[in-house]
Amino acid sequence: MSFLNNILRRLFDAALSPFSGLHPLVGIAVVSLVLGVAMLLVFKWTSKQEKMTAVKRQIHAGLFEIRLFNDNLRAILRAIGTILHHNLRYLGLTVVPLLWMIVPFVLIVAQLQFHYGYQGLEPGAQALVEVELDQSAGGLGGVRPAITLEAPPGLLIEAGPIWVPSARELTWRISAVEQGDYELVLKTSDGEITKSVRVSGQVVRRSPKRLAAGFFNQLLYPAEDPLPASTPIRAIGLSYPAGNAGFEGWESELTWMIFFLVLSIIFAFALRKPLKVTL
Amino acid sequence: MALLAALAVPAEAYIGPGAGVALLSSFLVVFTTIVVAFLVILAWPFRMLWRLIRHGRKPKPWIRRLIVVGLDGQDPKLTDRFIAEGKLPNFEKLAKSGCYHRLRSTFPSVSPVAWSSFSTGTHPAKHNIYDFLDRDTRTYLPLLSSTRIGQVERFFKLGKYRIPLHKPELRLMRKSKPFWTILGEKFIWSTILRVPITFPPDKFYGAELAAMCVPDLLGTQGTFLLYTTRPAGERFKEGGERFPLELAEDRCETTLRGPGNTFLEGEPPLELPLSVEIDRAAKLARIEVGAEKLELTPGKLSDWVTLSFRAAPGITVSGICRMQITEMAEHVSLYITPISLDPEKPAMPVSHPSYYSTYLAKKIGPFSTLGLAEDTWALNEGVIDDGTFLQQTYDIDKERETMFFAALDRLRQGTLACVFDATDRIQHMFWRYIEEGHPAARGKEDAEHKDAIEDLYKHNDALVGRVMEKTKDGDVVMVISDHGFSSFRRGVNLNSWLHAEGYLHLEDGDDGTSEWLRGIDWSKTRAYALGLTGMYLNLEGREAQGIVKPGKEADELKAELIAKLHELRDEEKTEVGINDAFDTSSLYSGPYLKNAPDLLIGYNAGYRTSWDCATGVVAGPVFEDNVKAWSGDHCIDPRLVPGILFCNHVIDDDDPALIDIAPTALKLFGLEPPAHMDGKPLFEASSFNGRPAKEAS
Repeated sequence: MSFLNNILRRLFDAALSPFSGLHPLVGIAVVSLVLGVAMLLVFKWTSKQEKMTAVKRQIHAGLFEIRLFNDNLRAILRAIGTILHHNLRYLGLTVVPLLWMIVPFVLIVAQLQFHYGYQGLEPGAQALVEVELDQSAGGLGGVRPAITLEAPPGLLIEAGPIWVPSARELTWRISAVEQGDYELVLKTSDGEITKSVRVSGQVVRRSPKRLAAGFFNQLLYPAEDPLPASTPIRAIGLSYPAGNAGFEGWESELTWMIFFLVLSIIFAFALRKPLKVTL
Repeated sequence: MALLAALAVPAEAYIGPGAGVALLSSFLVVFTTIVVAFLVILAWPFRMLWRLIRHGRKPKPWIRRLIVVGLDGQDPKLTDRFIAEGKLPNFEKLAKSGCYHRLRSTFPSVSPVAWSSFSTGTHPAKHNIYDFLDRDTRTYLPLLSSTRIGQVERFFKLGKYRIPLHKPELRLMRKSKPFWTILGEKFIWSTILRVPITFPPDKFYGAELAAMCVPDLLGTQGTFLLYTTRPAGERFKEGGERFPLELAEDRCETTLRGPGNTFLEGEPPLELPLSVEIDRAAKLARIEVGAEKLELTPGKLSDWVTLSFRAAPGITVSGICRMQITEMAEHVSLYITPISLDPEKPAMPVSHPSYYSTYLAKKIGPFSTLGLAEDTWALNEGVIDDGTFLQQTYDIDKERETMFFAALDRLRQGTLACVFDATDRIQHMFWRYIEEGHPAARGKEDAEHKDAIEDLYKHNDALVGRVMEKTKDGDVVMVISDHGFSSFRRGVNLNSWLHAEGYLHLEDGDDGTSEWLRGIDWSKTRAYALGLTGMYLNLEGREAQGIVKPGKEADELKAELIAKLHELRDEEKTEVGINDAFDTSSLYSGPYLKNAPDLLIGYNAGYRTSWDCATGVVAGPVFEDNVKAWSGDHCIDPRLVPGILFCNHVIDDDDPALIDIAPTALKLFGLEPPAHMDGKPLFEASSFNGRPAKEAS
C-alpha cells in the first residue's frame, strides 16, 4: 500500500502542480473533467450498455403511461410498479461498473482530499500538533512521556506540550513564521520521527495526519509515509484549516468534494452522448 | 413508500461520475414517478367531478370492451376455402361461437375509402375520401386525397439559416367524425392503431397511431433507395431512387441523401456520409452511415437503423430504415427501405397524443411509421425478392401485434381498433402464385413462396386465437376486413380507351406517353381517368379548362359513357373487362359529393386500372397483361370483393356492411348514432338481454 501511495503521491503532485498557483476551482474542474471522461469510459466498458438502454426505455415508457392513462388508477399503479421494477433492474446493472470503479475512485479521491481538503498555514498562523501514543511510550500514572518536539527555522513552538493522560495524547501549539515546506522532529527514546508542515497558500498536498502502518490508515491517509512500526507514536496530527475551494465562508474538508461531485456529474452528463455511453 | 424511501441515494454511494449520474438519475426516476403519480392521483377525483358536472354521466354501456381486429383485404372466398380445409381453426371456432358474415365494402372498394367509412359510419359523399388520389382541378395534377401538407412561408433569417416562424399546414381531408371521437366526447376511451386515413391524427379522448398517408422522411409515400454498381437503367416507375455505388478495391464512400433542409434557402438535401466496405472473405459488407455501424450478410435485412440528419446547430431530423445487401458477386447492390419518420422523435405528428408514438417506441422498440410501410414498390421493381418482402411485411406485422396486445392489456373499458396490413400487401404481391396462368407468374411455377397466401391466412388465424385468449366477459370482438381480393391479370387503360373513343384528345404532336395527364388537349377533352377507379368529366366551372357544361350535357355524357363501359369486353381474352360504371350521384349523397369522381368503374374480376393509366399515361393498349409482382387487387366492382365479419356475438343483421361498424360501436357503449351516419347498428339491445356489461357474453 505504501508503495502504491508513493507512486500515487508523485503522480498527483506532478499532475496537479500546474494548478497549484491557480484558484482551487480550476484544478477541481480539470480533475472533474478528466475523471468524468475516464470513469464514463470505465462505466461504458464494464456495464451492459444494451441492457441499460432497454431498461431505461421501459422506465420512460412507464412515465409516459402514467400520463397517458391518467384516468385509469389501475393503469397508473401498474405503471408505477413497472417503473420501480425497472429502476431496481437499472440499479442492479450499475453494480458491476460500480465495483470496478470503487477501488480506483477511493484512491483518487483520497489523494485529492489532501490537495483540496485543507488550506495551508500562512505565516503568523497557529496550529496544534497532536501526538497520540501507545502504552509502550510510558507515561503511566499520569507522568508525561519523555518526548520532545523540535521545530526547524520558519516554524515556532509557542506552547506545550500538554499531556492528556486519559487520551494518551501530547499537544503542542506551533506557529508559522515564513513560507516553506518543513519537517517537525519528534524525539523519543526509540529515535526520531518527522511530520511534514507546509506553510503555503498554494494548492499542494498537505498531510493533516501521519498514522501508523495499516491498510485502512494508508487507504484513508495516503499523504505521508506511515509511521515506523518501532515507534510508540500511533499518530501525529497537524490542525490545518479546513479547505474552502477558494470560497470564503465555505470552510469544510468536504467543500471541494461538493464541487467535484457536481462538476463531474455535469461533465459526465454532457459527455455521455459524444462518448456514446448510456447512463 | 418504504421501498421508495429505501431507494433514496445516500451521498456516500457516489462512486465516480458514471455511477454518480446513474444513481442520481435513478433517484430522479423514483422522485419523478412519485410526484407525477401523486399529482395524477390527487387530481383524479376533481377531474372526474368536473366531467360529471360538464358532461353528465357516462351512458350505460352494453359491453365493457369493443375489440376490432382489422385484417385489411382478408377475402371471404379464401377464408371459406381454408376453413373448409380445416386450416383456420380459430376463425372456425369464432364463427361457431358467434357469427361469420360477408361484409359489404364501399364504392369503391379501396382501403382509404373503406376505412374512412368504417371510422365515420358514412358514405364517401360525407367523409370526402374517394380514392388514394384526388386531382387539382386547376392543373389536373394528382393530389393525395387524404392529407394536405403545406409549406412554411415565413422565416426569420439568422445568418445562413432561416428559422421557420410557423408550422407547415397539415390537414386531414377526411370529413365527418370518426366514432372514437364521438365516444370520446362521453369520455369513453379508444385506442386506434394504424387505421387508414388518420394522418394527421384525430384529437379525441384516447390514443391513436396514424397510418395510411403518413409520409416517409423524404415527404413521399415511400421511396426506397438502391445503391448499386450496376449501370443505370430505366428509372424506377414507382417509389424508388437509384444511386451509383462506385467501388474501388471493394470500398466506396458516398452520401445518403435525406430530406430537404428547410433551415437553408433552396432547401438543399440533408446528407449523411455512407461508406460501404465489401469483405468477400467474410461474406459480409460493413456499412457506416452517420453514427451507425453495421455488418450486413447478403440477403438478410438489418434491424432498424437510426439516421440522424443535422439540419442546424442543435436541430436534427431523425428517421429509421432497414438495409440489405441484395447482391454481392460481380455486382454489389445495397437496398435501403423507405426512411420512416422516427417514432421516438417524429418530424411530423404521427400520433395522438403527440407522445404516444414515443411511448410506443420506448415500450416496444422502433417501428415503421410510414403509411404504406411494406415496400411493395421494391418488390414490383425487382429490387428485393419475395423472401425479403415477406420478412419485412411479417416484421411490421409483429410490431403491430406487439403494440396491439400492449394496448389491449391496458384497456379496461372502451374500444381498441387495430388494422393489420399484411393481408392486403401479401395478397397484392403473391396472388400470382395461387392462380394458374397468371401472367405475372410466368416461369415461376415452382416459386419458393407460392404458398405465401395460405401461410398468411394461417398466420391471421393464429392471431385471432391469441386475441380470443385475451378476451373476457363483456368483450365484443370483431374481426373484419374492408374488402376481399381478386386477381389482377389484365390492366385497363381507361385514358387510352377515352382517347380511342374520342372523349380525350392529345395536343398536336404528343404521343400520350407523358405521365400525369400531361400532353392532353383540355380544350377538346370531355372526360379523363385518374386514380384507381375514378373517371371525371372535364366539367366547365369545376376543372380549370372544363368544356362540358354542368346539367343536361354532363348527365347525357355520363349516361353515354356508362352505356359504353357497361360490360366492356376485352376482345383478346374474350372476357368482360368492366362490369359497370356507376354514376356517383346515384350511389350516395352528401356535402362532399361535388368532390367525387363523376363515374366509378366496376372492373370485372381479373381486371384493374393499368399501371400506365394509374399514372396518367394515355398511350398504349386499352387492355394489357399485368406482369408485375403486384398481381392481386380489390379495386374492382365492389360487389365482387366483400370483406369478412367474424364476431363473438350473433349480430342482428343478415347483410352487414363496413359502414355499420361505427354506429354499432356507439350503440354498444350506450350512445345513439348521430342522424348523419348512413350505417345501422348490427346489434339490438335484446342481443345483450339488457344485462349489465360484465355479465353479457
